[in-house]
Amino acid sequence: MATKLMFSQSFHSIRTLVLTTLLLLLGACSQTELKGELKNSASVTTKDYMVVVNRPNRVNLIDLTTNQVERSCQLPGTSAPGTVVMSPDKRIAYVLADHFSNVYGINLDNCELVFSAIQSYANIRIKSLASIAISPDGKEIYTHQNPTRLLSDHFEVMDAQVAVFNTSDGLKAQPVRTYPAPRQVTIMVTDKSGTLYLGAPDIYAMNPATGETRMVIASRGLQTPLFSQRDSLTMWPIGSVSNEFIRLYTTAKYKDESQNLETADWMWGYERIDLNTGEAESREFGPLEVVLFSGMTRPSDKNQMYAVLTQLKKFDVAKQQELMSVDLEHTYYCINFSTDGKKIYLAGTFHDIAIYDADTLEKLGNIQLEGGDMSLSPTQIFAREI
Amino acid sequence: MKHLKPLNKKAERLEQAVVDQRVDEVVAMQNVAGCTATTDPGWEVDMFGSVAGLCQPMEADLYGCADPCWWPAQVPDLMNTYPDWDKNAPSAGSDWRKLDTVFPKESK
Repeated sequence: MATKLMFSQSFHSIRTLVLTTLLLLLGACSQTELKGELKNSASVTTKDYMVVVNRPNRVNLIDLTTNQVERSCQLPGTSAPGTVVMSPDKRIAYVLADHFSNVYGINLDNCELVFSAIQSYANIRIKSLASIAISPDGKEIYTHQNPTRLLSDHFEVMDAQVAVFNTSDGLKAQPVRTYPAPRQVTIMVTDKSGTLYLGAPDIYAMNPATGETRMVIASRGLQTPLFSQRDSLTMWPIGSVSNEFIRLYTTAKYKDESQNLETADWMWGYERIDLNTGEAESREFGPLEVVLFSGMTRPSDKNQMYAVLTQLKKFDVAKQQELMSVDLEHTYYCINFSTDGKKIYLAGTFHDIAIYDADTLEKLGNIQLEGGDMSLSPTQIFAREI
Repeated sequence: MKHLKPLNKKAERLEQAVVDQRVDEVVAMQNVAGCTATTDPGWEVDMFGSVAGLCQPMEADLYGCADPCWWPAQVPDLMNTYPDWDKNAPSAGSDWRKLDTVFPKESK
């Protein structure tokens, strides 16, 4: 009996031990599996999206994994120029619209209008030429304003300024601050520190807390005996994927100080500001052989420069050489990259977005937008939680 | 300006503004947009004096020129003067037949 009891107790102890061990092992396995699932889910909880505006009044959220329009919201006004900037959480699209006049903030999760700024008032007409930016914390919107006083017998051109709006002011927001600003600004971007860059005939940096402004890149004002005056155009604030403010310029590189245009080399160059560090640079990156409208360096490798209009071209910046070029099915104004830099998205003009492989420039497909032309609208690409 | 003669009222006003020294901001055009008096080539000929560099097809570039009032003489100005020119024609490629010629309106 005692033996039986002892055996029984031992058996129970061994059984308990075995069961406990098994449970612990199972628990450990479950935890390992759970951790694995969490890790996997962490790696797939974000994916690339694009936001772009098209006619007559649509702002589109596009899933770049499926290449499908996930949501298409309607603006209260008309699309042009459709310059769009995103809130830091990538939920709200702020769009400059109504023929370069007003700003609308649209929550892309439910298409709710959460912000508006009607810039003109009384007999003062205000136009912003594709110049809108947002502070890094998402609390302030900046526009570059060109006011004109409309009088009965003439128009009076007023001084240009930067206007600051609080996003928390919601609908019909009024500027909380204004600062004198350079004229002919057609692109604005903020960097990580909150400095506001203004692309004008030269490129300026403004402290939006004080309005203090300084020139960071001399462009039209640059005087160099071996180069002609630069010519530049951009209305596309597209460099966020590569953490850059960037615009193209053309210039003639003279053989000597006689400045003979007949023997000069015509070059493409870029003016670029690193949005992490604020470092500014400008340099030539390739021969000028065709017209190009927008360009970007490839994410993670700024020696690879891509640009587009009716051709898509890839350049080696250090060697100032064109590496690859493909003719496009039609003109596209605006280039952009996937966040990993593997795909190129071409947009603007009509209502299709072309996708290209960044290594081979092989065409991968198109995304069709419902509605009409994108025209000048830039694309914004970002990774967002699902 | 001595080799140029004004051909219309706007050009005459510009010349008068030069005499009055009110055009100190008139400089070589760069970052052109917004109903400027630009003669920058691009609609009829490209920057090389040819046509190969023009946007293809021209309809792709139509609203890109009309929206910012880039060439107000060649393409109606959607920014200020003819904001409804593209009404009912959201796609220049397929709706171009709906786009009509515009004429200045008489002042009331």
